[in-house]
Amino acid sequence: MRIAGTSYNDSMASQINLLTSRQYKLQSKATTGQSITAPEDDPAGMAQALGLQADNSTTAQYAQNISTLQNRSDLIASALQQLKTISDRVGELATQSSDSLSTSAEMQANASETTQLINQAVQIMNTKDGDQYLFGGTASGQAPFVAATDANGHVTGVTYRGNASVTDHEIGQSSSVTVDAPGKNTSGSGARGVITDSRYGADFFNHMISLQNHLLAGDTASINTVDQPALAKDEDNIINQVSNNGAVQSRLDVAASAASARTSSLNTSLTNVAGADLAQTLTQLTQAQNAYQAALQSSASILQLRTSLLSSF
Amino acid sequence: MLGLFNTLNLGARALQANQLGLEVTGQNLANSSNAAYSRQQVVLQTSLSTPTALGMQGTGVQATSIQQVRDALLDGQIRDESSVSGYWSSQQNSLENAQAQLGEFLNINSTSSASDAQGLSDQLNNLFNAFQGLATSPASISQRQNVVSQAQGLAEGLNQASQNLSALNGGLNTSVANDVATANQLLSQIADLNDQIGKSALSGGTTNDLNDTREQALEKLAGLANIQTTTNANGTVDVSIAGTQLVSGNKTLDTLQTYNSGNGQLQVRTATGGTPLALTGGSIQGTIDARDGALKTLRDGLDTLASSLITQVNGIYSSGYDLNGGTGAAFFTGTNAATISVNSALQTDPSLVQAAGVSGATGDNAVALALSKLGTQNVASLGNQTFSGAFAAQVGSFGFSLSNANSQVANQNSVSTMLQNQRDSVSGVSIEEEMASLITFQQAYSASSKIISTADQMLQTVIALKT
Repeated sequence: MRIAGTSYNDSMASQINLLTSRQYKLQSKATTGQSITAPEDDPAGMAQALGLQADNSTTAQYAQNISTLQNRSDLIASALQQLKTISDRVGELATQSSDSLSTSAEMQANASETTQLINQAVQIMNTKDGDQYLFGGTASGQAPFVAATDANGHVTGVTYRGNASVTDHEIGQSSSVTVDAPGKNTSGSGARGVITDSRYGADFFNHMISLQNHLLAGDTASINTVDQPALAKDEDNIINQVSNNGAVQSRLDVAASAASARTSSLNTSLTNVAGADLAQTLTQLTQAQNAYQAALQSSASILQLRTSLLSSF
Repeated sequence: MLGLFNTLNLGARALQANQLGLEVTGQNLANSSNAAYSRQQVVLQTSLSTPTALGMQGTGVQATSIQQVRDALLDGQIRDESSVSGYWSSQQNSLENAQAQLGEFLNINSTSSASDAQGLSDQLNNLFNAFQGLATSPASISQRQNVVSQAQGLAEGLNQASQNLSALNGGLNTSVANDVATANQLLSQIADLNDQIGKSALSGGTTNDLNDTREQALEKLAGLANIQTTTNANGTVDVSIAGTQLVSGNKTLDTLQTYNSGNGQLQVRTATGGTPLALTGGSIQGTIDARDGALKTLRDGLDTLASSLITQVNGIYSSGYDLNGGTGAAFFTGTNAATISVNSALQTDPSLVQAAGVSGATGDNAVALALSKLGTQNVASLGNQTFSGAFAAQVGSFGFSLSNANSQVANQNSVSTMLQNQRDSVSGVSIEEEMASLITFQQAYSASSKIISTADQMLQTVIALKT
């Protein structure tokens, strides 16, 4: 085949451009660690990678939800533990005052301590997590429990301003959990109230107020027959709440592990789809560089020969 | 016998022929880097023989013409391939531009945080994740701010993509108009060259360089639109585009014109006849097909995505309640990717985000939860795909169009290079070959001059006999 002068130059430039372009792409793959960057690189792979990234993003949000809920659940656990301590102490005071051996002064002192314990319990039940009260149900815009006192500082009643509703939270695809518990539920259905629940005879504040009043009145009989059995039901209710909280925490731990495993799995899939095989890429890059050097050398040789032809003339 | 004087004439003709050969070689060498140039060669022929007593005797050599070495078949094939190359190159350029304007690039090394958002896909995910975060802490003002912020980011991303792609659409219309103007200039140039070639042919002159210039113009025109050519007996070429003759000899019968087909998109027709042209190749049609094909699909897809997002989110959101008990407001305003925006009231007061399902229950997350679940639900208006799935499919589909254009351009480059090399092997200037010709003509010229000097010496000898 007859070779024209321009064919040499065009072919040389074309080959060198091709090899430069190949080196650029391989260099980009090696530095980013990705075989796909733009839709044109691998359209199907790009669509798959975007899907995996969306799943990854959702899973990361689930993990964040779980972390938030774990913090809230810890706060609830702490509050319930404090409430249980109060319940234990109130039970002790009721037991101490349930026979006729207690003096009037002891009864008054126990009544005073009971009043303090009621106020302390109100404070605990008004604990907040950020902008949200833990035990107000979904009506969490204001402190759920408000204590009323008489002129002597004795608690005459505790009003509940929350509601009995609680929210579900997503912790995974088609997986949700209820972390919160309302302070009071007298509806006969739904989540168990922490202080008051008509289904289980729990009404902790009123029962403590009753004990306080009976202590003030020195009415050991009522303490014995009314308050102690009622407080026992409150104790059972609180223990149930603690137990339920433990189960929720356990679920959250499992969900956190699942989210972490899924993130790891999705990252592996993403790397398989869009990641560059570094060993292969670097080998190809070396080949391209060798080919580039060879092209430059052969081009230089041809140009030299043609120059020598002109010189010889 | 010719006699010494005729021998002198023989030498003179040989000098002229070889000098012309040298000049043509010089012309070839001078144009060795001119891609449009076809090599020329002197056609030498023995001059007329003279009858002598010994029979017919040769009188040397004479140059009869300067011939251009062309292969009309290859020229035609290259014109055809120029149309195909022009078509795919313009598609590739247009779609690469669209890819850049869309800005959807993959970064698998990024974290999943909102601050690492790479494109619309990430922004979509971030919005639904923000709804998730709000569902987890429905009374939280910061989570409400995050929802509004992510929604604004997504809306602005859609606005920007829509605006960029719309500007690109306008740019492609301008490109079509510019290509049409260039095509009209080329049609006029071809008619002018036909005129010069026709006149030159009539006077018996050579038209080699004019042919080169016209061929170059024809190939440029073919790159803009597929053309059909007919060569006339006088060397002129008639040109038709999409079956409509536009150049006949030295006359331009009609020109191309862009027109608005009704939707703001420019199409091409003949200026005088007003005939819409069904182009099948060339950069004009490549640009039109990219604009009305992959780019339009992408723009429509973004609009559908945005309108579905507005409809679906507002459908759930409007039944919710904000922290003040307000309800019934819209979350998004607008109707498509260009106009989607977040309700301006939310931008100034995030407490107005309607996350609760019941009034007065600030800790209720029913609506926020439903909105977060929307991210993983299939939506009928998106072909029963999720929002992120539908967008990923759109990106993939667009990528296929660009990838196909890339492949076609690569294939076409190979075909064009092969044809160009074939044509160069016929018409291109080989410096080695021309240098050899240079030596040949130089030696022949020297030898011819020797004939003259020898004949001169012989004449001197003859003249000296008498003195």
